[in-house]
Amino acid sequence: MEWETVIGLEMHVQLATRSKMFCACATTYGQAPNSNVCPVCLGLPGALPVANAEAIRLGTLGAIALGCTIHLVSIFARKNYFYPDLPKGYQISQFDKPLATDGHLEFESPDRGPTSVSITRLHLEEDAGKSLHDRIPGQTAIDLNRAGTPLAEIVSGPDLRSPAEARAYLVALRQVLLYAGVSECSMEKGSLRVDANLSVRRPGDPLGTKTEVKNMNSFANVERALESERARQMALLDGGGRVTQVTLTFNAATGDVRPLRSKEDAHDYRYFPDPDLPPLVLDPAWITAQTDALPELPQARRARYESALGLNAHDASVLIQEPEVARYYEDVVTAGADPKVAANWVMGEVLAAWNSSGTFAVMPERLSDLTALVSAGTVSLQAARRIYGEMCTADDTPRAVADRLGLVQVRDESALTTWIDEALAANPDEVARWRGGEAKLVGFFVGQVMKRSGGKADPKGIQPLLMQRLGS
Amino acid sequence: MSVAALARETGRRLQEAERLNATLHWSQALLDAEAARLDGLADGPLSGMTVALKDNIVTTDQPTTCASRILDGYLSPFEATAVTRLRAAGALIAAKTNLDEFAMGSSTEHSAFGRVLHPLDPDLVPGGSSGGSAALVAAGVTPAALGSETGGSVRQPAAFCGIVGVKPGYGRVSRFGLVAFGSSLDCISVFGATVRDAERVLETISGHDPLDATTHPGGSLVAAPARQDLRGVVIGLPREYFPADLHPGVRAACERTIAILRQLGAEVRDVSLPSTSHAVPAYYIVNPAEAAANLARYDGVRFGNRRVGPEADLRALYRSTRGDGFGAEVKRRILVGTFVLSAGYAERYYARAQAARRLIVDDFARVFDAGIDFLFTPTTPTPAFRAGEKLSDPVAMYLADIFVCPASLAGLPALSLPIGRDGGLPLGGQVMAPDGGDADMLAVAAVIEGAVDATGEVR
Amino acid sequence: MTIGPDTVRHVARLAELAVADGDVDLLAAQLESIVDFVEQLATIDALPGTAVVNIGPPTLTLREDVVAPIPMTRLAADLAPEFAQGFFVVPRLGGMVDE
Repeated sequence: MEWETVIGLEMHVQLATRSKMFCACATTYGQAPNSNVCPVCLGLPGALPVANAEAIRLGTLGAIALGCTIHLVSIFARKNYFYPDLPKGYQISQFDKPLATDGHLEFESPDRGPTSVSITRLHLEEDAGKSLHDRIPGQTAIDLNRAGTPLAEIVSGPDLRSPAEARAYLVALRQVLLYAGVSECSMEKGSLRVDANLSVRRPGDPLGTKTEVKNMNSFANVERALESERARQMALLDGGGRVTQVTLTFNAATGDVRPLRSKEDAHDYRYFPDPDLPPLVLDPAWITAQTDALPELPQARRARYESALGLNAHDASVLIQEPEVARYYEDVVTAGADPKVAANWVMGEVLAAWNSSGTFAVMPERLSDLTALVSAGTVSLQAARRIYGEMCTADDTPRAVADRLGLVQVRDESALTTWIDEALAANPDEVARWRGGEAKLVGFFVGQVMKRSGGKADPKGIQPLLMQRLGS
Repeated sequence: MSVAALARETGRRLQEAERLNATLHWSQALLDAEAARLDGLADGPLSGMTVALKDNIVTTDQPTTCASRILDGYLSPFEATAVTRLRAAGALIAAKTNLDEFAMGSSTEHSAFGRVLHPLDPDLVPGGSSGGSAALVAAGVTPAALGSETGGSVRQPAAFCGIVGVKPGYGRVSRFGLVAFGSSLDCISVFGATVRDAERVLETISGHDPLDATTHPGGSLVAAPARQDLRGVVIGLPREYFPADLHPGVRAACERTIAILRQLGAEVRDVSLPSTSHAVPAYYIVNPAEAAANLARYDGVRFGNRRVGPEADLRALYRSTRGDGFGAEVKRRILVGTFVLSAGYAERYYARAQAARRLIVDDFARVFDAGIDFLFTPTTPTPAFRAGEKLSDPVAMYLADIFVCPASLAGLPALSLPIGRDGGLPLGGQVMAPDGGDADMLAVAAVIEGAVDATGEVR
Repeated sequence: MTIGPDTVRHVARLAELAVADGDVDLLAAQLESIVDFVEQLATIDALPGTAVVNIGPPTLTLREDVVAPIPMTRLAADLAPEFAQGFFVVPRLGGMVDE
């Protein structure tokens, strides 16, 4: 009998604020250790938290983007546990009164097609610092620059049915948060982290015992880790064993999951409302204003690319994957390029360069101008690719590059006639065969003329003149 | 007197008061530095006033120890808002005063640096937890001092020492820089030799602080116009505060004061606050729960003193640092607070205490809505008790706060002022006011102060 | 309610507090007397969950998102019991958690 896999995901994203959640320290990444700290995020005696308005706004924006119910009153609570990178001995988080609940995310499942996953809750909290175990021999080094950074925790329902589906959900969720401007969502910089819960059961049965998998540093590794854990649970159950509730860590090098040593008493967090922070009360009019100000989300944008710009579904979904790429694409179109032509350029040369360097080397207006040169016949498509490559390193207009490299197509009749006459003179046999009725040889002659012109002859100008000369 | 002379005179008085063990840090050099600082400052509302600070209020120029070994020698890198405001107003900071460790206690016997003696009798306690500040003001060293209240820690020692102690409404004075104990209850509070001394300090330190999200918006306290009498004022006497077994001296002092209230033109009415008996038990759940979390930061990692256990791992460091660094009462509260929030017990204790707190808040709202302007009660059930008397019985010690706890739980302004003596020992009367009634409460207290014989025997 | 030595040890572990073996019984007795005392509230219906009575301002006032840390007259290195290479330093986490 088949096993059914049940997966729920918790995503932590760092909110894109300038300052921390409860103090005015910078959230800058990559500073010298313990340099972005103050009495509040160091947890010094007498310091008090004051909540960052922008963190609340971004969290709310994320909740709106995920179709959540935003609670007009939510409460910050203390989650009590000891850990050396947790300065106060408690984390300020939200517990039984979170900012938002009951949302959903529509995405394209690789297994089931269009699928809706429930978002159980979105709550706000502060991040801990970092414990480094390999820095100082035999000791643990603590850096509190990250302590107090604002986070939104987004918890999905147990609605995902395969590791691949879990990955697709993460990609879609990240896209929504990027488009809403909630977070930078960079796993490399630690501004996006994922924990996963997985259980298996016979279809129709109640939920099985779940395990939690941590320490996955990419979406691909989430999928690998979940595949590994799913296989482990199924093997265990097939062998007559039982799954025990445990926290596992993923080893990217081996692809295995292994249990974390259990934290003694770790689950008695003794939550209670933080008396330093009165209830967060939101004004419905303010929430409406945020809803109105929400940027266009990826699904809406994809639909618009298909309906208004005439792109096919595949191209539209490629272009919306990263909001920066989509923005660039739209800038090229706004500058005048044909949407389909621009799409081909962006999905080809532009995306290749962006994936390797992370930048758009060519201004959108110049790419648009370049497509105009092609459509006007001033340069060939082949030449245009050379011009694009040149523009990536040289700050120049496409026309100037074309001129400099001599890539402007020649339409001048006398020049074309010279190349045609040379080509015909050099290929008397083919001329005889053409005259004998082999019409398809036209292509051969055009190729010969192009070759003699060094690629500069305008193919459209060649044919009428060629017919003239052959006919004469 | 010049500020330099004031600094020297204050040093002389502090030296003389050393026998009380009321201070934890002061030096003539620091007093002189304060004088030099003030010399360059234009006259402010507190120019010429010296103020002592309870040593759980952080300052950058002197250690802040909370009378705990875990913070022995700790120098804060920032200053409390209240202290910054005092300094800007021209006050001369005189000393940091002794207290019950982390303000946990009602006798100032739970200090890691020894108990504070009552200025009138070395065998008695001055009350607590702000006993050092109370003793200094009572001994005439400074006219005012900052203490802190969580459940009566200024009003109770003010009563024991025969001075004025004012707890403002919760959120009227910034807690930024007050070392947290029970955050939903903590209030920086003021001792004064007179009501006016305390009022002047409150005018300076109160008002919204962007660094404390629990301060009310708006400016500082503005003194109400002085009154000649109490005509038009309705004062309630909650019967739960006058039990049959009330100390006879306390009862006599209150009865004498109530007669004076009537003579001054006040209308006096009997009222009832039926949930009063819930206050101390609720307090001893809410307060330890918050304290246990607030004291988790003393872990020997980022600041303060550290002790590494024999196992030399992190857990041993935590346990030894905290086990050796905290005294018996602090450990008791941490254990109680951890227990009442732990899995399986939170509903039974913490959630019930919140419900009790709600009942207490509602009690006060009911009487104040029914036309009562202020409440008058004894501050404490007895005069100052003997040192050691309640040390082995935590619950007996907690019950010393039975009349001061309710206003703390409700966040209301309340004060204690001396209303006579019994057998030579000072007795305090408490005035409680509705939320926002701080200034009017002080004006009423000033009238009572002018009319009672604060040092005369009551029977 | 009875508070035994095991409860004291469990709670002390949660609070990361060393309690000497010789003190456990006394602490258990004191805790029991405190807990018995607060049991007076047993007649009151508890508020649901972690609901609280909010004293002070009714709503949270927020801070603008501006970088302006509270100045410190002493740095992290001056405050720390042990500090090296820019880090706070603690011993190995030992049995406490996975490293």
